[in-house]
Amino acid sequence: MQRTRNSMSSFARRPLALAATAVTGSLVLAACGAGGPSSGGGKISDDKVVLGLLNDQSGVYKDLSGPNSKVAIEMAVADYKAKYGDKAVAKNIEIVQADHQNKPDIANTKAQEMYDRQKADIILDVPTSSAALAVATQAKAKKKLFIDIGAGTTALTGKSCNKYTFHWAYDTYMLAQGTGATAVQNGGKNWSIVYPDYAFGQDMTKSFTNAVTKAGGTVQQSIATPFPNDNFSTFITKAESSKPNVIGIMAAGGDLINFVKQFNQAGLQGKTQLAVGLMFITDIHSLGVDQFQGTQFTDAWYWNFDDQNRAWADKFKAKTQTRPSFAHAGNYSAALQYLEAVQRAGTDNSDAVVKELEGKKLNDVFLRNGEVRAADHRVLHDAYLVKVKSKDQVKEEWDYEEVVSTIPAAEAFNPTVSTDCTM
Amino acid sequence: MSDQTLEIAGLSAWYGEAKVLTDVDLRVEPGEVVTLVGRNGAGKTTLLRSVMGLHRQVEGTVTWGGDDLGKASADKRARAGIGWVPDDRGIYATLTVAENLLLPPVTSKADAWSLDQVYEQFPVLHERRDFPGTKLSGGEQQMLAIARVLRMGSTLLLLDEPSEGLAPVIVQRIGEIIRQIKSQGVSVLLVEQNVKFASTVADRHYLLAQGRVVESLDNDSFQSRTTELLEYLGM
Amino acid sequence: MTAFIQYTLQGLALGGFYALAALGLAVIFGVLGVVNFSHGACYMLGAVGAALLLDATGLGFWAALPIITVAMFLFGVLLERLFVQWLLRLDPLYNFLLTFGITLFLVDFVKRRYGVSSLPYELPAGLQGRVNVGSVSLSSYQIFVAVFSVALCLAVWLLLTKTRVGMIVRASTEDAERSRALGINVGRWVTPVFGFGIALAGLAGVLRAPTGSVNADMGSFFIIILFAVVVIGGLGSILGAVVAGFLVGLVEAYGQGYAGSFSQVLIFVLMAVVILVRPSGLFGREEAAS
Repeated sequence: MQRTRNSMSSFARRPLALAATAVTGSLVLAACGAGGPSSGGGKISDDKVVLGLLNDQSGVYKDLSGPNSKVAIEMAVADYKAKYGDKAVAKNIEIVQADHQNKPDIANTKAQEMYDRQKADIILDVPTSSAALAVATQAKAKKKLFIDIGAGTTALTGKSCNKYTFHWAYDTYMLAQGTGATAVQNGGKNWSIVYPDYAFGQDMTKSFTNAVTKAGGTVQQSIATPFPNDNFSTFITKAESSKPNVIGIMAAGGDLINFVKQFNQAGLQGKTQLAVGLMFITDIHSLGVDQFQGTQFTDAWYWNFDDQNRAWADKFKAKTQTRPSFAHAGNYSAALQYLEAVQRAGTDNSDAVVKELEGKKLNDVFLRNGEVRAADHRVLHDAYLVKVKSKDQVKEEWDYEEVVSTIPAAEAFNPTVSTDCTM
Repeated sequence: MSDQTLEIAGLSAWYGEAKVLTDVDLRVEPGEVVTLVGRNGAGKTTLLRSVMGLHRQVEGTVTWGGDDLGKASADKRARAGIGWVPDDRGIYATLTVAENLLLPPVTSKADAWSLDQVYEQFPVLHERRDFPGTKLSGGEQQMLAIARVLRMGSTLLLLDEPSEGLAPVIVQRIGEIIRQIKSQGVSVLLVEQNVKFASTVADRHYLLAQGRVVESLDNDSFQSRTTELLEYLGM
Repeated sequence: MTAFIQYTLQGLALGGFYALAALGLAVIFGVLGVVNFSHGACYMLGAVGAALLLDATGLGFWAALPIITVAMFLFGVLLERLFVQWLLRLDPLYNFLLTFGITLFLVDFVKRRYGVSSLPYELPAGLQGRVNVGSVSLSSYQIFVAVFSVALCLAVWLLLTKTRVGMIVRASTEDAERSRALGINVGRWVTPVFGFGIALAGLAGVLRAPTGSVNADMGSFFIIILFAVVVIGGLGSILGAVVAGFLVGLVEAYGQGYAGSFSQVLIFVLMAVVILVRPSGLFGREEAAS
């Protein structure tokens, strides 16, 4: 009964519609009587839906997702409330956030804390593959939802897949498929790959090698580098030594900037094609379009792709003074679709919500031709092969990308479900 | 020349909790050579370091030429004419012999030896002027350390065991130098365990034991009690 | 063989840069006895400062070199006057902790103010492209950085060996207490020397800006490499820092050429071997170790 008193008193403090309070209050009492928050015919546990944002709030991924993803989620909450008004199942929506510092052990503790103490119904984002896998394990144990946006590992829909975990925005297969296969089709048959020697870099190299080989190209050498690493000049010399058409770089963040600057300084820009494994728009901003000009890569979403994206990006800019990355849009989309699923289910009960997501075809500003694949919870959607504009093509700040082609949802992601995945 | 007197009154010193000097009174007149004799650990080096202002955990007064040195920093004391010749000679390895000589500022033009004077007195320093300081032999380093403070124009030399580890012929030469600078009115406070050597250069002696001055002797009574003192020092 | 020559050149170019960056660390340790952990943060500040200068005023690389260097000198003077000087008489650990704290503060300040993404900075005009000699080649900028660094190391060396100021700094580097006892007001030199060391760190940051990512974290790993350089060279030894800088540059380049992702590990293997054989470093004095 302790629980009831708490939620009653916290309710009393909120100046929401009195009627709604009374109704929900009595529902909670009924739920308690039935023996616990998530067991009954559902409705809303603890009288509120808690969205947990767990990502990098201070390190390398802060700018491309970080605190601004909270803004994106707030936008989703506002849109949901505006759409359903009084009919909204989730009347009371709270957002909590924490910094996992890209460390799996911290991600693990914070996820536990969010699910248990802060009563999070769902955790969102979680960049860094190892951290994402740790949270997936927690989600499975706690039977609470986890939608990953920021991490790239295919293990989330492979051997670590589970009923409560969804992989929303991208994965290494998608990056390799778009960038690798297209480059080969355009004549870039011989590749050298330079990659940071840790899980992400190895995973990316594997995906790219597969994609390049399948498209009829060859990866002549893949060169492992330390992580982090400041100086790449000798690695670049080595990569160049096999006279490749394409040099693929699988580093991210600051190391990617280091590499590209030194690649260009070695006089290779325009001579040897550069393929970037994972690039965020913040990377182009960091380096300046000049340095990346002409570089092709796969993007999960681009803010200036069409009017719908642009309108959303304008709203985002009004709140943050910056343009959204695909991770921001992905967080918005995941939060929105989760709330829609709660609406359809009439409850925030995890199993019910999962049922409302699985196999559904979804469309929003981020998801185009989206579908939640029931077998492994891979969210399929259109991806984009983009090219970095040249300086004179840039018409405004952050206007850096030109979409070369849209990769249909069915081709963008691995069409076969991993045999390692058993829900 | 100088008419400055060093006067130490009621000087006590500590290392943390450990008291290493207790209530030391001591006096060095201008042109006087005074030795501090005592066993290892009696506090001789600490006494010199306290006079130099290198050891800061002290009580009592050190007066030099009538001025209380109080909390004056080591470099101020050096510029007031106190010359420091540490027991390790303190020669800079990264400086050449000439640079070692030229490093300290000249503090008293009247008293300072010119470089020529130094080289004349110590030809070996001239020969090796471009060598790194520590390439010299132990005796040569000792000469260099003494020459260095003479070039500054120091009028009181704090000599910490100058004879230690040196061949008799070199010890003899150092004795000559001490007598020579004494004749110029420079005073010397000498820490020495070599009783024989001490008695050839000094006017007076202080016996230090466990941080206290236990006896003050003139050189005659010092010489007559040499055997007893040697025994006392455990030599 | 061509590859080997190529790696050697790249290693030397890198080494010049390491030497320059480590020089300030060695000088500060020598004269103040302070292990300046904030050297990496000051290097970052130099690079970030150059990027901000470009953004705010349009002044590019050539202007940034003198402006940022002088600004970092003043920043160093400020740090020393405000903080470092009060701890000099205490255990060196206190200043190590202080400079560690300064690092945390600076890095976090830059993160909060300017984000974590790298700031844009481009190559100065005239230094694009590369120079080929036979089948070996180096980028023009790499050559510039190497030549500039070596020239600067040389200038610092001349300053240290041929001037009275240099003599005093060398003497105080070797033994500050002894220098005081010989009438030198070491304290008077402490502030400018600290400023000088910080200025060198900032200058290294400006040199880095066109060729690497410019962000709050860029110094965090770099400082570890620099520590390896000064430990290999001998703490406080200026010549040691320069020689070890080149050595580490070569080891890293050969490592990248022949050992892939172990290239950084090799630097620390070298450090371990040097410590085992000569605990005070290649050019360190024996007393320094005891």
